[in-house]
Amino acid sequence: MSWRYRFVLLFFLFIMALIITRLFYWQVVRAQELSALGQAQYDQQVVSPAQRGEIKTSDEFTIAADKLAFLVYANPKVVKDKDKESDALSKMLDIKSATISALLSENKFWIPIKSHIDNTVKVKIDSQYLPGVGFEEQTMRFYPEASMAANLLGFVGKDENGSDKGYFGLEGYYDRQLSGKNGISIIVHDAAGHPILAKMNDSTVKVDGRDLVLNVDRRIQFMLDEELKKGIATYGAKSGMAAVMDPKTGGILAMSSFPTFDPAAYQNYSENLYANPFITNTYEPGSTFKPIIMASAMDAGLVKPDTKCTACSGPVQIGDYAIHTWDDKYFPNLSMNDVIVHSDNTGMVFVGEKLGLDRMVDYLQKFGVGDTTGIDLQGEEAPEIHPKDQWYPIDLATATFGQGITVTPMELLDAISAIANNGKRMQPQVVATVQTPDGQTIPIPPKEIDQPISATTAQVMTQIMVNAVNNGESKYYRLKGYDIAGKTGTAQIPVAGHYDATKTIASFVGFAPATDPRFVMLVILNEPSSSIYGAETAAPIFFSVAKDILLYYGIPPNE
Amino acid sequence: MKKPVVLICFLGTLVIVLLVARITLVNSISTTGIKLVDLQNQISTYKKENELLKVQYLEAASYTSISSKAKKLGYITVKSQIDLAAPLPMAMR
Repeated sequence: MSWRYRFVLLFFLFIMALIITRLFYWQVVRAQELSALGQAQYDQQVVSPAQRGEIKTSDEFTIAADKLAFLVYANPKVVKDKDKESDALSKMLDIKSATISALLSENKFWIPIKSHIDNTVKVKIDSQYLPGVGFEEQTMRFYPEASMAANLLGFVGKDENGSDKGYFGLEGYYDRQLSGKNGISIIVHDAAGHPILAKMNDSTVKVDGRDLVLNVDRRIQFMLDEELKKGIATYGAKSGMAAVMDPKTGGILAMSSFPTFDPAAYQNYSENLYANPFITNTYEPGSTFKPIIMASAMDAGLVKPDTKCTACSGPVQIGDYAIHTWDDKYFPNLSMNDVIVHSDNTGMVFVGEKLGLDRMVDYLQKFGVGDTTGIDLQGEEAPEIHPKDQWYPIDLATATFGQGITVTPMELLDAISAIANNGKRMQPQVVATVQTPDGQTIPIPPKEIDQPISATTAQVMTQIMVNAVNNGESKYYRLKGYDIAGKTGTAQIPVAGHYDATKTIASFVGFAPATDPRFVMLVILNEPSSSIYGAETAAPIFFSVAKDILLYYGIPPNE
Repeated sequence: MKKPVVLICFLGTLVIVLLVARITLVNSISTTGIKLVDLQNQISTYKKENELLKVQYLEAASYTSISSKAKKLGYITVKSQIDLAAPLPMAMR
């Protein structure tokens, strides 16, 4: 073989090796990258966002839903007259003209101007035919009743990835159920950009969020909101809260607190307003706590309604402390019925001594004090009861009339509802049913948590509470013809180790009709200024709302 | 050997028929993508209109809105009640 022949052979072998190497590089080393590049040219991944579920009141009226909104953007390179367009947009978007002008002067192709604008604003902008201005569709949470039950609902914000996420209240607690799952579709396009029918597929199926139907009655919620707002203004309170519950099922019929926020514009409000104070705030309940202690002592067979108090003739001395009545009036041999009617602290100390620490703590635990109620709202808290070995005699004495012990309003309402429900304590429940996108309805059945007292004790305690309404401090506000069980409360606020006599938490808790309760309600006013007493501030609000509810339910007076 | 003329003719005709059928079919579905886009746009438009109408309805039917409109029109809340169980007077002034 001549050298020429060998040279040509080697040359071709070398070329072949080069080609094989190059092919190996494209088809093996960079195969994935190039494949993705090719796919990107004809594939399009389309995310179809799941629609967030709606929240409806018991009449199936939507109080939280997704709404179509728009992002206004501009292409500064297409905008011809910046000043004219800035002025026009400024008026419609409520943004300073100079701010828009600065945005339109940027050397970019796409500038977002304002997000989440309403369709009416979009139509107005559209009608101006502004060159370079466009819209991108968005969704935003919409609350038709504005601030109504805002603390109960919570709001929808963004998570760390910029996706919608529910915070606080129902939006937070039921976020996974409400949010559903986004769908992802792959669409293959032809050269002209049209989708090829046979090449479209859903790689992930979209699942819309589930709807929640609440136990909340929109009518009662509205009445409670109105009366509470009015009451806070009338009595000069710093804040106020109230809730109405069905004692037989635990269904929350209404829950309000003021000041509150607009969940659609939560960013404009202080973060302190987001949490629901009815389930997060702890306070000393004062005399509204007395029925729980009295019912416990009666259930244990230690006292009866006609048992005489042998320690009620004057202030009671416990160690270095002297316990007085709220008005410094004393009634020797007061009956247990009258201890509640007069809201007598010394009488309650007498009951506490009969009950003893062990039994009292056991009963309190059965009433749910010191534990969360399990309500389906995000952020519920519950201060713990001290361990039994950390109680001093003065703690036991003051706890009997609701001082030195802290609860959340929800705990107290649930405990009192046990008295209204023949001794059975139900789990408070805001949501009644969950509706799936395919039309299924999943009911959430009422749940009995405990039975702290017997039905007989509950009935006796109910009658004592009716007497407290008819003959106690709040008798001037009672609804004539109706048997309403209730108890006032005026708790002093502990400030820097002592109680400030001028700052109180005024409250009233009760239920009606006493013989067959349809609702139990707790009204709390924080630091009312017109009067410090619950009987003169919270009680009138309670009776006003109670009257509305009784009329709404069509319950006639029994006299 | 005799050529299978009939078979060849049959196969040739079949090829032509299938070719024509294919061309016709491809031709008829080639614009389906465009129609699909049109239909999707229509669905999207109707959905949007539906959503906007729903929002309008909810705003109008909310207690907050009804209550403020009623106040503007001068309506007041009446809390009195008539008890039909109570005996009615025989005569009233």
